[in-house]
Amino acid sequence: MSEKHSIVEIWVYLSGSPLFALFITLAAYQIGLTIYKATKQNPLANPVAIAIILVASIIQFVEMPYSTYFEGAQFIHFLLGSATVSLAIPIYRGLSSLKGRSLPLLASLIAGGLVSIVGAVNIAKLLGADSSITGAMYPKSVTAPIAMGIAERIGVSPTLTAIFAVTTGILGAILAPFILNALGMKAWWQRGFAIGIGAHGIGTSRAFSIHPEAGTYASLAMGMNGVISAVAIPILYHLFN
Amino acid sequence: MISGLVQILLFQSLGELVSKFVLPTLPGPVIGLVLLIVWLVLRKGINHELAMVADGFSQYLGLLFVPAAVGVVLFLPQLKANALAIVSALVGSVILTIATSAIVVRFLSSKPKEVNQ
Repeated sequence: MSEKHSIVEIWVYLSGSPLFALFITLAAYQIGLTIYKATKQNPLANPVAIAIILVASIIQFVEMPYSTYFEGAQFIHFLLGSATVSLAIPIYRGLSSLKGRSLPLLASLIAGGLVSIVGAVNIAKLLGADSSITGAMYPKSVTAPIAMGIAERIGVSPTLTAIFAVTTGILGAILAPFILNALGMKAWWQRGFAIGIGAHGIGTSRAFSIHPEAGTYASLAMGMNGVISAVAIPILYHLFN
Repeated sequence: MISGLVQILLFQSLGELVSKFVLPTLPGPVIGLVLLIVWLVLRKGINHELAMVADGFSQYLGLLFVPAAVGVVLFLPQLKANALAIVSALVGSVILTIATSAIVVRFLSSKPKEVNQ
């Protein structure tokens, strides 16, 4: 057997097993984390975005069809459901810090949630985006594991939704300090809550790194927004489509 | 750690069951999340093992989006064709959402606070 032939056989074997997909996914995320730490947690160097770009480039380069990659990576993907359930813990911890603030928080959540949908869908529509894109804009301000569940229910692409959700989180983490400073927002709990609604998971981890109270309120906002949106978005979507 | 994972998977399964037979409009994991909050409120506390698994999930949540989001390779031409609309919609809606949420929460919470103090 020639050497070239055996390399092809090894490749055929590797690409047929879930090992390759699992390895490149975890390795790419590890590289993302390393870069993120090296840049002192700059939101532009988001580890999720880096991992997506790396894995997408690798499978394009080795000409592996996405379906083959996903067959292996589905073991990681499956855990999204369990991760969604475990969001109950930060929400429960946040509930005890409500302290009679539930009315302003609930009003802020509903207003912010509606503006995020109406804003994104209409700006995209005005600039001529097609319906598969505007559809995926509906759940994009919801934390990605819940957003993808909603996307499946309303029949839009969970992939586009995940991409818009991750981008929204990165943009929110970058822009939030400027927006909140421009508005003269000083209370940490109010700043954190607004970040949690606008920038879900990525914004929440940013809020935690700035101030613990901001982080608690951000995770509360993210969780409540996820639960309310899972009920409201299918209704809103069928109303307008 | 195993007991924490068992608890999470139990509530996830309950959520899937409720979603399949009672509330098909809600994703199973979201129902599981709500059931778990109700359970924690009733029990008035989180046990250590559950907290450990949940914190592990939150710490590496980002990793779990990667497999689905790599599907971006299937949408590249469509994303390129709509790039301006997508970027404007995402940036515009992030600014509007954070500003609206912040203004509403501050406007509604400032008045009663001043009366109380």
